[in-house]
Amino acid sequence: MSNQKDNKNSFQMQVFKTISITILAFGAITMIIPFVWSVITSLKSAENIFSHSAFWIQFPPDFSAYKQIWERIPLLKYAGNTLKVALIVTIGQLITSSLAGFAFARLKFPGRDKLFFVYIATMMVPGMVLLIPNFIVMKNLGAINTHWALILASVGSAFGTFLMRQFFLTFPSELEDAAKLDGCNPFMIYWHILLPNSKPILTTLGLMAFQGIWNDFQWPLIVLNSASKRTLQLGLSYLMSEYYTDWGLLMAGSVLTLLPIILLFFAVQKYFVQSFKFTGLKG
Amino acid sequence: MVNDRKNKELPASNYSKLNRRREAIWGYLFISPNFLIILAFTVIPVFLSVYISLTDWNILGTPNFIWIDNYKAIFSDQLAKVTFFNTFYFTVLSVPINVFLTLVLAVFLNQKIRGITFFRTAYYLPVISASVAVSLMFMWILANNGLLNQMLGSLGVEPIRWLTNPKIALNSVIGVTIWKGLGFNMIIFLAALQDIPQELTEAAAIDGANRFQQFFKITVPLISPVIFFVTITGVIGSFQSFDLVYNMTKGGPGHATSVIGYYIWKQAFDYMNMGYGAALAYIVFAVILILTLIQWVIRKRWVYSED
Repeated sequence: MSNQKDNKNSFQMQVFKTISITILAFGAITMIIPFVWSVITSLKSAENIFSHSAFWIQFPPDFSAYKQIWERIPLLKYAGNTLKVALIVTIGQLITSSLAGFAFARLKFPGRDKLFFVYIATMMVPGMVLLIPNFIVMKNLGAINTHWALILASVGSAFGTFLMRQFFLTFPSELEDAAKLDGCNPFMIYWHILLPNSKPILTTLGLMAFQGIWNDFQWPLIVLNSASKRTLQLGLSYLMSEYYTDWGLLMAGSVLTLLPIILLFFAVQKYFVQSFKFTGLKG
Repeated sequence: MVNDRKNKELPASNYSKLNRRREAIWGYLFISPNFLIILAFTVIPVFLSVYISLTDWNILGTPNFIWIDNYKAIFSDQLAKVTFFNTFYFTVLSVPINVFLTLVLAVFLNQKIRGITFFRTAYYLPVISASVAVSLMFMWILANNGLLNQMLGSLGVEPIRWLTNPKIALNSVIGVTIWKGLGFNMIIFLAALQDIPQELTEAAAIDGANRFQQFFKITVPLISPVIFFVTITGVIGSFQSFDLVYNMTKGGPGHATSVIGYYIWKQAFDYMNMGYGAALAYIVFAVILILTLIQWVIRKRWVYSED
């Protein structure tokens, strides 16, 4: 009787597994095909893109779209702009968030909990509400059409502070007490004890900041005017509005701007997954 | 030497008072860089936005205070009506489909199967990809002679104008949005599913519950807070969608894909109606705030009910 049940169960399990894998595989193909097709298109000669069927693959591939794109837009300049802003924001956010998170978790000062409540509350404000007033604030600071507008708006982070605080709260206080007796000030405790033990969370937070800036589109679109200031995403968007039927060129541009993040993703996938989960915590 | 220091030591109570003051100064010092940024670019703007929404400011001139005229104007703005309807349609279609698909995928992934790393990676790729590149890829896939129409064509289906037919365009944008977002909620569900103790489903299986019964009687109730959370954040996200609409359709054809995130940008930064844009944004903010608070309250209740 129980054997029969086991058999039935394992049979059910096998069926379920097969269905699962089939559907997962179908979904995974749907996820990947757009990328593959972009690469295939970007490697076709311009005259072959329309004259041949979509399923046709040019061999040997034609790399002329990848050569042309550097002449059509200053891609290297845009990459440099993006990298500069992304690195400054990432490092800045790590410093300011870990400092503030440390203070909220480990130091006592009047008004601390009220201030922390303000932090939590600001996380509820949707970015869309801030676009117009921030544009005006940046205008008054003279930051419009400079990279400062991108840097300043993101170099502090309520979410990052929240994350760091929660992490620092989990540290045992014995170490800290011992350090205090040895005459360490709070900065030394932060620098020598907590930070060296926070590498995974700092990596995750840094990755979130970097990816956020690299992929950001709306805010740069609003605050940057001159072509020479553009980030990669803006550059790609303008490339599209100028050469909107040159699919080989546009796909080459997409592939090139996606590549760095995808490579980064494969290099540190674990931290990316962690970052998704953290964003899930945000609400 | 040691004695020297001992003599100079302050009385205990004074000493700890001084220490506490020192600690407070360190505290303020540590939070100030972050706090100043939050203050300048989140806290002050939230209030500044209220003021802007009560003016007719257009960047060039000086703002005039016009009380709630902007809010009144929304009611007679036909385009705003279309936009709100589109946003509603967008949300009602994209969020449930996303939640359903991601939950199913997460359940499928939450077992010992081969190639799991490959599957996960495949579903993450669209999430980490920038929306501009995604827009471009899909404009080409959905073009009249693009991949999708050619695939359908080989099945004998006439070419469909995915992005230029006003009746279809919004659905296409929704489709791309769902495609891009699947991997994200999938992870959140997967994490929630992995937290469910296996003994629970095993016990149910021994009692003769089949897969479906296990899923609906055990799994769903246990992760219902997560389902709810994902739904609310999905709604909030869909209210703010901009990138795909801007790049793929510019709100067109006509106003067929004009959603609120796009319309606010259009009013504020294309027509330069900052006041009107701010008023629209504040209405959306109010709705989002209510949804967030509901979500917090309900989540709290759920957390308590678990005790």
